[in-house]
Amino acid sequence: MRAPITIASSGAVWRPGTPTDSKCYGRALLALAEADPRIVCLGADLTGPTETDLFRDRLPDRFFNLGIAEANLMCVASGMARSGDIPFVNTFGVFATRRSFDQVALQIAYPRANVKLVGFMPGLTSPGGPTHQATDDVALMRALPGMVVVEPACATHVAPLLAQLVAHDGPAYMRIKRGDLPRLFTPESLPPLGKAQVVRRGGDGWIIASGVMVALALEALDALAEQGIEAGLVNVTSAKPLDATLIAALAGEGRPLLVAENHSIIGGLGSAVAEVIAEAGIAARFARLGVDDVFAEGAGAPYLFHTYGLSPAAIAQRFAALAGRR
Amino acid sequence: MTNTHRLGLTGAALADKALRLRRHVVRMVAPIAEGYVGQGLGAADILAALYFNEMAFDPDNPGWEGRDRFILSPAHYGVGLFAALAERGALPVQELAQYGVDGSPLEIIASERLPGVEATCGSLGMGLSVGVGMALSLRRHGSASRVYVFIGDGEMQEGETWEAVMSAAAFRLGNLCAIVDINDMQVDGATRSVMDMGDIAAKWRAFGWNTIALDGHDLDALLAGFAAARAQGGGPTVLLAETLPGRGVSALEGRKAHFAKLPPDIAAQALAELEG
Repeated sequence: MRAPITIASSGAVWRPGTPTDSKCYGRALLALAEADPRIVCLGADLTGPTETDLFRDRLPDRFFNLGIAEANLMCVASGMARSGDIPFVNTFGVFATRRSFDQVALQIAYPRANVKLVGFMPGLTSPGGPTHQATDDVALMRALPGMVVVEPACATHVAPLLAQLVAHDGPAYMRIKRGDLPRLFTPESLPPLGKAQVVRRGGDGWIIASGVMVALALEALDALAEQGIEAGLVNVTSAKPLDATLIAALAGEGRPLLVAENHSIIGGLGSAVAEVIAEAGIAARFARLGVDDVFAEGAGAPYLFHTYGLSPAAIAQRFAALAGRR
Repeated sequence: MTNTHRLGLTGAALADKALRLRRHVVRMVAPIAEGYVGQGLGAADILAALYFNEMAFDPDNPGWEGRDRFILSPAHYGVGLFAALAERGALPVQELAQYGVDGSPLEIIASERLPGVEATCGSLGMGLSVGVGMALSLRRHGSASRVYVFIGDGEMQEGETWEAVMSAAAFRLGNLCAIVDINDMQVDGATRSVMDMGDIAAKWRAFGWNTIALDGHDLDALLAGFAAARAQGGGPTVLLAETLPGRGVSALEGRKAHFAKLPPDIAAQALAELEG
């Protein structure tokens, strides 16, 4: 019998039994907005799926549904930001970035408008195929001058991350998995914007991961430990600005580095890390694990993560190979 | 006081401002011998009516919170906007000589690097959407400021324009006024020949806008149009302003050239004509 794909279970690729929270974003945004009258909430006919029904029902005069019209959505947000509001723009990652790229570039990034873009269903967490799988959103947003690019790995990081984005006066893009998020860390463990979190140390090299890949990398660490390989793990919430100091220091240790991201290996976190290592003049055993320059397909997330090589087993196997232990 | 920043010029005084804007436009384009002179001359009356009668604007503080907002969606009309800003006193008139000069904020495609330019809209179709956002925000804050968005007729071929039109009506933005420069000209020729948009007024009306067709060179008609828009509290208004590119210069008037030549002899002749 097939298990139904629900909003809560959609994209749940971590180990069964992992503690989770739901609607972390929706609740955190509402709490921030209740304390800060500058915050307004914009959407494009995806209110429930972006958890902003909570905001709509509590603060209806600060909630604006623009209908299925993302180009207009982005420019309206710009106009509101130019008038002193802090718009949170909520849609799926594909629509927040790929579909409305020119509007985001010129009306949000160029004027450094204080707009926070929130893109749901990153990478292969969407069952919707290439139309709904944002596998190039980090690459697109990272290319825009002044755009902050973040992704929480953990349910408890969402609220403090949102507070960081509000405190930052300028444009930001947050990609976030829809539905349940795993609870992995304490809220206090979230580093400031631009800094990465060392989750675990290990003598055989580092896995550098973002978003849901952090939970999967934790599983991979266990599998590697069984083979006698002690890998460390770094959680990169902020792909831009990137913690270049930490990355260069880790690369300088001379042990292998594997970047694991739920995104194309082109232009995302793996590319960003590679840029740092290359420009620091460090020769490193380095590999990028992610969606390997292909469009995926519509299917359940566990199937997709397995098929496209993003599973804990794939991470472990790739790291072991990189470390020369297989 | 808001009113001290609304000039309210009419009649000969306003017509003189429009003439002065045209002279600035010709002087700005002449050194590069070609450019958006047709658009600048064609829009001069609309810009004069806005900056010297209709809009609240403080030249000493272009970012003044109580100002009315003007968004130039086809930003290549910047030559006209810069002329208006200078004539209004927001930048020294001699600065206009920096138009298109390397390093100058008076870019050929108007950029908000220059104070007084509200948004950088050279990628067509975005300006009205930005205006919708401003109007929503101003209303939410109880501001009396109004939002004016200038768009081109060719620009209506961009789908985003209609997303914005739809949303402005749905949100009943009575503080928003669009002005469409209907000069029947785009890069590849007459607007109708490139992409016939049919009955433009019927389209805006069907989307729920208060729609006023007028002669974009008739200053009294423009002022009446803005007054009607102001009186229309319940929703947005569009002025469909028919204009002639190059208006006021016999060698250029009515010439459908997106990027017109302005050799020195024509520029000199134009300035002589515009001495009024």
